Amino acid sequence: MSTTGNGLRTRRGKRLAGSAAGIAVMALTLAACGGGDSGIGGGGDDDPPAAAEECPCEIRFSWWGSDTRHESTQQIIDAFEAENPDITVVPDFTDWDGYWDKLATSVAAGDTPDVITQEERYISDYSTKSVLADLSALDIDTSKVDEGVLAGGQIEGAQYGIPTGINAYALVADPEIFADAGVDVPDDTTWTWEDYVTTANAISKGAGDGVWGAQDYGFNEAGLNVMARQRGESLFTPEGELGVSEQTIADFFQVSLDLMKGGGQPDAARTVEYQAAGPEGGLLGTNQGAMGVWWTNQLGALSDSSGHELELLRLPGESEGERTGMYYKPAMFYSISADTEYPESSAKFVDFLLNSEEAAKIMLTDRGLPANTEVRESILGDLSPTDQKVADFMADIEDEIVDTPPVPPHGSADLADIMERVNTEVLFERITPDEAAAQLIEEVNAAIAD
Amino acid sequence: MTDASTSTASTSTHTVPTAALPPSDSDVPPGTEDRRPTVRPRGRQLRAKVGSVLKHAGLIAFGFVMLYPLLWMVASSFKPNALIFREPGLIPTDIDLSNYTDGWNALLHPFSHYLINSAIVVLGSVLGNLISCSLAAYAFARLEFKGKRLWFAVMLMSIMLPIHVVIVPQYVLFSQLEWINTFLPLIVPKLLATDAFFIFLMVQFFRGIPRELDEAATLDGASHLRIYLQLMLPLSMPALATTAIFTFIWTWNDFFSQLIFLTRPEMYTVPIALRTFVDSTGNSSWGSLFAMSIVSLIPVFIAFLFGQKYLVKGIATTGIK
Amino acid sequence: MVRAPVQLRGGEHVSVIQELSQSKKTVSPRKKGDGRWALFFLAPWFVGLVLITAGPMGASLYLSFTDYDLLSAPEWVGFENYTRMFDDPRFVNSLGVTFTYVFVSVPLQLAAALGLALLLDKGMRGLAIYRSVYYLPSLLGGSVAIAILWRQIFGADGLVNQVLALFGIEGQGWVSHPDYALGTLMALNVWTFGAPMVIFLAGLRQIPAMYYEAASIDGASKFRQFRSVTLPLLTPIIFFNLVLQLIEAFQSFTRAFVVSGGNGGPSDSTLLYTLYLYLKGFGSLDMGYASAMAWFLLLIIGGMTVVNFLASKYWVFYDD
Repeated sequence: MSTTGNGLRTRRGKRLAGSAAGIAVMALTLAACGGGDSGIGGGGDDDPPAAAEECPCEIRFSWWGSDTRHESTQQIIDAFEAENPDITVVPDFTDWDGYWDKLATSVAAGDTPDVITQEERYISDYSTKSVLADLSALDIDTSKVDEGVLAGGQIEGAQYGIPTGINAYALVADPEIFADAGVDVPDDTTWTWEDYVTTANAISKGAGDGVWGAQDYGFNEAGLNVMARQRGESLFTPEGELGVSEQTIADFFQVSLDLMKGGGQPDAARTVEYQAAGPEGGLLGTNQGAMGVWWTNQLGALSDSSGHELELLRLPGESEGERTGMYYKPAMFYSISADTEYPESSAKFVDFLLNSEEAAKIMLTDRGLPANTEVRESILGDLSPTDQKVADFMADIEDEIVDTPPVPPHGSADLADIMERVNTEVLFERITPDEAAAQLIEEVNAAIAD
Repeated sequence: MTDASTSTASTSTHTVPTAALPPSDSDVPPGTEDRRPTVRPRGRQLRAKVGSVLKHAGLIAFGFVMLYPLLWMVASSFKPNALIFREPGLIPTDIDLSNYTDGWNALLHPFSHYLINSAIVVLGSVLGNLISCSLAAYAFARLEFKGKRLWFAVMLMSIMLPIHVVIVPQYVLFSQLEWINTFLPLIVPKLLATDAFFIFLMVQFFRGIPRELDEAATLDGASHLRIYLQLMLPLSMPALATTAIFTFIWTWNDFFSQLIFLTRPEMYTVPIALRTFVDSTGNSSWGSLFAMSIVSLIPVFIAFLFGQKYLVKGIATTGIK
Repeated sequence: MVRAPVQLRGGEHVSVIQELSQSKKTVSPRKKGDGRWALFFLAPWFVGLVLITAGPMGASLYLSFTDYDLLSAPEWVGFENYTRMFDDPRFVNSLGVTFTYVFVSVPLQLAAALGLALLLDKGMRGLAIYRSVYYLPSLLGGSVAIAILWRQIFGADGLVNQVLALFGIEGQGWVSHPDYALGTLMALNVWTFGAPMVIFLAGLRQIPAMYYEAASIDGASKFRQFRSVTLPLLTPIIFFNLVLQLIEAFQSFTRAFVVSGGNGGPSDSTLLYTLYLYLKGFGSLDMGYASAMAWFLLLIIGGMTVVNFLASKYWVFYDD
């Protein structure tokens, strides 16, 4: 409260006191910068909090999402509080973009939420700066989570996040448009990247004006990762370096260029526009395209806005390369602040989110298909037809999946923007796929350096 | 002279050099057309009429261009979620009110809760800006003091730094004051005239008020406080109305600082609530977003309609001529 | 002093104004030094400056000399952030984008605002409605809905292309083409001319009627009245709008953020300075660099404002 003290002095003071107090406040803020908990940069460089916890207590749980998730999460919180009357869970939610601004700011001020929802792009940043606690030291039962999936939240041996559920990056197809165009839906277990291009081009020709074969896939690094994995590479290595070859990147962009030239996908400007319009405003959502690559959890939004019965297919090339490339991506992670006053209560809550059937029945697939396989089984009967389709698809590919990609390194949050920029340049033919590959490697390396 | 001037500048009316003023013979607002009551020949009248119709037609056409996006949003708010992007035309094929009812109840609290929160923040901010900025503006416009230019520069400088780099230190400051999750970080700064935009605005308006008026009042023994209260403020209705309207609208729409400083859902305001309808990573309720955007536009629009009456009550119409 | 514009323009009809203004100048000039009163009137602002504005500003200045990722304590790096900027092609690009945006859209926006304010100031039927309708777009602010609305207009199948198609012209996706996206963003800025228009309207109402009457008695034409009364007496407000719109346009963020989906695309063509700064600070967690960018921006805006104030001596006219 020394700040208020300064304020009082200012008001009483004379003439120059004003600027002096100004400097004082500044100094105070600056002093806080260097400090621990209360100031800027109050990450988790302090000792772990004392073990003894006094409850009734209050923990804050932060997540991002839209109204449906907020509603269901509140129900889960209510259920948890009914079981644990001495723990109050305070919700803290916002949309995706606002979420990260808010989280970073509150961490900077030493006001970190106790239970934090994390994502692949940022979990490395937050864990390497010791904002997140190692969950393996806490009392959370992870025995029902598949080892490979669980590894998706491990960095240098510590469990910084527990996957909430899993998604896969898959090809969504609209059989009605295939039929309109007189093209057969291909066999996704055997099709190659070349088949993909010819199929899309054929649909565009067959379906007439204003309908295309496929929406461009080049904005999302997940597609690149799948292609890389099919060739035995990986977008990032476990050591946190870029693991994809220049050739693969160039080929990746070449596919979308071939599609555009062959008419299989719209011109560059339209492509960028559909990309910005999200699942609802994209080609599939507006019945203007037969194929698009999306995360499996987006099938619901796509189906709703298209009004068609959409199908999930494996990405092309799964049987073409030296191994399969598709993988389970942890949809999000549950993490706990390294600074929380109530690690036990927080752990109890995370355990509830992860392992309670009651919670799962409310959440269903909102945070991905539940990571806890037992819980997953228990909700299968409650799923909507679309979610059912996702669950079936995920089960189908389970045996084909070789491994989970390592957690992207610190700084990889920039990757999405870099992909978007480079792909746009390629589509507008301002750079060739080869130049794009070189540029991508250079920019990503700069982002993940240090 | 109309009542306004006599009531507002009662201390000074008799000392204003009225002799220099031309006699005011009407209360007609000084639109230039009204002021020149010349009789026109018939042909000219017709031409004027045609011209006026053309002008209105032009203004209406332009108005449509201005409004098209809004009309589209209104139309979309009545469409089922699935049709918004599939049938993006202006005329909905299927009118559906469920976006309004769903949107109103979609979040943890009914939407009225967020409207009330926003109203509290907005009213506090409007009041704060009106008082504190006009006080500061009076000093800059009418008082002579040491370092006036320097302080003025400092004031302007304070709005030249993007909020994104000061919000983190601000958060630290407010969290040490334990103000996070209250409306204080949003209102108190306005009470302390941190919105330099409005100080500068009012300085420009105050400077437009003839100095003879307050000099006369000074000769009459009025203090600065009295001149400020009884002369400057009443004569600056347009500036005050502008400040009130803008503060209302900008605070109502301000997303970033409200997002950062309010962490509990029960404290959320309209802009934060609106954002939670859309999730770029999953499902979005576009229909609800549009419907609630329309709902949240209503108070602002009413504020503007109400406020714009005062916009035109300038010195020109109050009789100080 | 009404003298300034009068001398500039001359002409017989001005003589009355001249007389008027001279007769007004009979009161002795105010004595210098209202220090105590100034302290009183400035007290709230001063407290705010010291308590709320100065601290965070100072902190951001300090942070601009550090490597600071928000998640751990800042580390002093001296001028590194500042020197790094000029080797950063995206930074240089964002400067170019911002300058184009500011110097094209601000004059257009102000011209639209002033023109419509003049048109809507006069006694005319339905004034209040027109005013409100023209202001409505500005009410939308940074609503997320803007992005979609803008696509409806400037998209490949948007309103603009539908109109163009009537004339047999085949348009393209303006909003998503790197060559045109910035143009649509500037159109958006011009479209929301409501704020400066309102300020102009308020300013027009602040012009004492005596000047018009004096000019009218002198037989000055409407155009002369506009040139020698309205325009000069409106210059403080024009000046205000110019200074403030420039300051705001340089910091323009929300619209570019919303319309581009947050990344300044397509291919950085709408990457305004502040948007890049935000992406660096909160996206890449490089707040030290973002702070340095902010202070560099402050230098640019500050310099521009100083030039504006210096130039104002030659064209802005105060009646005090």
